[in-house]
Amino acid sequence: MHEQSLVKSLLRQVDEVLIENRGSWASSVEVEIGPLSGVEADLVRSAFEQLSAGTRCSNATLLIQLSLLVVRCRDCLSESRLAGFVFRCHHCGSGNVQVISGDALRLLSVTMDSPVEIEHA
Amino acid sequence: MPEKTIVLNHDIQADRRKAASDMRESLAKQGTFVINLVSSPGSGKTSLLEATCQHWGNRWKVGVLVGDLATDRDAKRLEPFVPVRQLTTGGACHLELTLVQRGLSELPSQRYDFLFIENVGNLVCPASHDLAEHLRVVLLSTTEGDDKPGKYPKMFRTSDLMVISKCDLLPYVPFSIQSVTDDARLIRADLDVLTVCSIRGEGIAAWCQYLEDRRQTMVAASVLL
Repeated sequence: MHEQSLVKSLLRQVDEVLIENRGSWASSVEVEIGPLSGVEADLVRSAFEQLSAGTRCSNATLLIQLSLLVVRCRDCLSESRLAGFVFRCHHCGSGNVQVISGDALRLLSVTMDSPVEIEHA
Repeated sequence: MPEKTIVLNHDIQADRRKAASDMRESLAKQGTFVINLVSSPGSGKTSLLEATCQHWGNRWKVGVLVGDLATDRDAKRLEPFVPVRQLTTGGACHLELTLVQRGLSELPSQRYDFLFIENVGNLVCPASHDLAEHLRVVLLSTTEGDDKPGKYPKMFRTSDLMVISKCDLLPYVPFSIQSVTDDARLIRADLDVLTVCSIRGEGIAAWCQYLEDRRQTMVAASVLL
């Protein structure tokens, strides 16, 4: 349910990127999924296959990068990569940490056709 | 055909986050403190709201939006106390900001001291939806087991307060307030914890005081904006 609505916004955003850059179709779409994003990579993949039919992404490959959960400690200011969901600074042990990466679904890049521009005299 | 790659690196939900944050700010300016109440089905969200409304009486102007897949049973329970609008999701497992905006516009007034959003019973999807709330409260009843925070980390990470409900049943169920608190605070170290028994009224005064204090902090901060 949730993945479907996110993929719909993803497709809309890719479409905007295509229009802005005068591409007519996307050949690949690269996204990043964090462990705290609330979405599952497999469900994003199947939603993309289903919802991209008939759009300018219908032949696009979806590239999924799974990101790590990274927090910054507000006490000692160092960063820690978390393997699970225990939110503690690896350097000083504080729980006063802020998630700086891994809580979002991000559109990283779009690869598209690039028509050769014809210059008019 | 030559190809080109456009590098973007942007949050797909940036627009949604912005809309929620703008709405939160404008509600704060008018003094409306929004509480998003989340939990599993049956942990006592509606009972807690009934007890809250009874405790406050007419002291505060309270509005409630209740989300469910079907029926208006929860709205009917709250109607004797406060203006309430049922949001029927028609199968969706969570509330979204647009539904909340519509629900608020359908309430008899747009200005409340406290606006409660009773989310759809679900510890998963509601965690990913910012409903412009100032406080996210996760309710966990003693009958659900004290192992839930670690199993649903996003819900407990994104909540500000955990309310342990049905405390009258503690003698009959294997549930430790200490271990559930420790488990939840591994996920969110500054998570506040309260315990209540809504049907007997235990802990309701402290819960209401907590909300009043949080609202006061919000009002004081929004005056400075």
